[in-house]
Amino acid sequence: MHVRIDAKYLAAAIIAVLVALPFTASTSLLYMLGLAFIFVVYAVSWDIVAGYTGQVNLGHTVFIGIGAYTTALLNTSRLGIELSAPVWLTILAGGVNALSFGLVIGIICLRLRGYYLALVTAILPLIFIQIANVYSGVFGGYEGFSVGLGKSLATDLKLRYYIALLFMLISIAAMYIVVKSKIGIKLRAVRDDEELAEAVGIDVVKYKLIAFCISAFFAGLAGAMTVHYRLTVGVDLFDIPLMLAIVLGVIIGGIGTFYGAIVGGFAIYIAKNWFFRIIAESLAVPVSDDFLLYLLLIALIIKAPEGIVNRVKAFLSSKTTKQ
Amino acid sequence: MGLAEVIVLGSIIGGIWALVASGFSLVFGVARILNFAHGTYFALGAYVAVVLNSALKNFMSDCFSLILSIILSIFIVGFIGVAVYKVCIRPVKMYGVMIILVTLAIALLFEEILLTTFRDTPISVPFPLSGVVSIAGVPVPYTRLVALVVAILVIALLDRFINATRTGKEILATSQDSEAAMLVGIDVERIYVIVTFVSAALAALAGILYSQIYAVNPQTAIRVLIYAFAIVILGGLGSVRGSIIAAFIIGFMQVAVSIALEARWSEIAAMLAIIAILIVRPRGLMGVE
Repeated sequence: MHVRIDAKYLAAAIIAVLVALPFTASTSLLYMLGLAFIFVVYAVSWDIVAGYTGQVNLGHTVFIGIGAYTTALLNTSRLGIELSAPVWLTILAGGVNALSFGLVIGIICLRLRGYYLALVTAILPLIFIQIANVYSGVFGGYEGFSVGLGKSLATDLKLRYYIALLFMLISIAAMYIVVKSKIGIKLRAVRDDEELAEAVGIDVVKYKLIAFCISAFFAGLAGAMTVHYRLTVGVDLFDIPLMLAIVLGVIIGGIGTFYGAIVGGFAIYIAKNWFFRIIAESLAVPVSDDFLLYLLLIALIIKAPEGIVNRVKAFLSSKTTKQ
Repeated sequence: MGLAEVIVLGSIIGGIWALVASGFSLVFGVARILNFAHGTYFALGAYVAVVLNSALKNFMSDCFSLILSIILSIFIVGFIGVAVYKVCIRPVKMYGVMIILVTLAIALLFEEILLTTFRDTPISVPFPLSGVVSIAGVPVPYTRLVALVVAILVIALLDRFINATRTGKEILATSQDSEAAMLVGIDVERIYVIVTFVSAALAALAGILYSQIYAVNPQTAIRVLIYAFAIVILGGLGSVRGSIIAAFIIGFMQVAVSIALEARWSEIAAMLAIIAILIVRPRGLMGVE
């Protein structure tokens, strides 16, 4: 196992393929890939909190949904105000709004430990879904609403694909810089041993909150991007199935490894929206793609709770040490 | 109207929530399992009872088939709970967070199964008696009265079971310190199985009673979790008595909110209550470590 491929060259090769793809791929594949790029940002931003601080935030979709609804409401007159701001500005507003929610939720929730944190964050999305339903005049109820063709990222699908790709690359780069900085090191110290981190003078709560806010900001941006990519907003962006798909992606890739969230997030989105759909249609029994996704998730968790990549790594290193 | 209504109707829904939350709390207190599939057992209880009843009533009198299918449903869901524990939860028991994810996935899996089999039309377990009694000037249909009586009886039985039987004492010992319990010769794994069975069966009973008053659809499984969480956070994770008290508080609050505002606000109110409690007491009212 001494065949080392330099990560830089590999990344460059993958990006080159993704840039060249619109010239050969079908429009439906391109459309799906664009959404997969945005999904990768959901996954990486979740991993910032889960993998780097060890806090299990099951309410990540709250930030995605808030980003999405912020930009959607700013671009329609459903709030009763007519704003003619450029789309990129309202997307940014989505990110900032998610960040402010992240700050408030973080201040309340990060005092809680382990189980209580998971319990509370798990119900947060359900509450937002309920609010969207109660005020269906504004939020469009369960179905949501459309922002209109004029508010698209770009009317040309190829251009939209490139914008989504660029968005993913910039977001990943930004989060990578954070993770590799001193902040990232302190975050990992907090994850590995909170008391020890506190003892060496790291303000544990402050760094958890920083991670929470970064995570919320990028999730909010990605949620807003989704709206202008697919032109609709709905409570599915808040809902538990999306949360589980994000978690599944990060677990498959390996939690807290950064690249794991990228690879796993991308793979799971493609699997769910392409392979599982084909399999579900070809089966005689009426099952949905979601059903297959949950089965896969359960099987994966039972067989490899610490992440497939870590499992494979452990397997390989045990092989090499034996030789 | 007003206060009497809140107390009477609140205790009825509170009794049902007490069944749900005491089981949820028991499993966490004893086995440290945070079971997000608990609401699924609630919904399954109603569905299995309805299916069994429609099959059985061809062979026997309506009343007898109803009682038989309710009892069978409670046992079947109890065994489903044990199966879920043995197949899915035990392999990941040392990874606390994975328990949450795997049970959440199970909850969504069952929701998908129920949706494809029964669509999302709400179902109700039939109730043989019709009529209304007046309690403190509040008209209470027999369905609700029976639900309250059954809930209180079962909770009293559960309390006796935990505090006065040998198995109950083993359960208490395991919840206090599972390793020490093992050292004194308690089969901890057997205790876990018993506790998961009791917990799932209680949820199934609650689901049946609930569906006789209101109705259950596949999405109920997740919605019930909001109340279960609110109750256990209020009462403290792992404290069964705390959950029972908290269940009635949440029941009163729910009815009060429904009267003052509208029923759809009660979940939001429950959530706000959770946040308020956690700001004041991050470990709930009577929580365990």
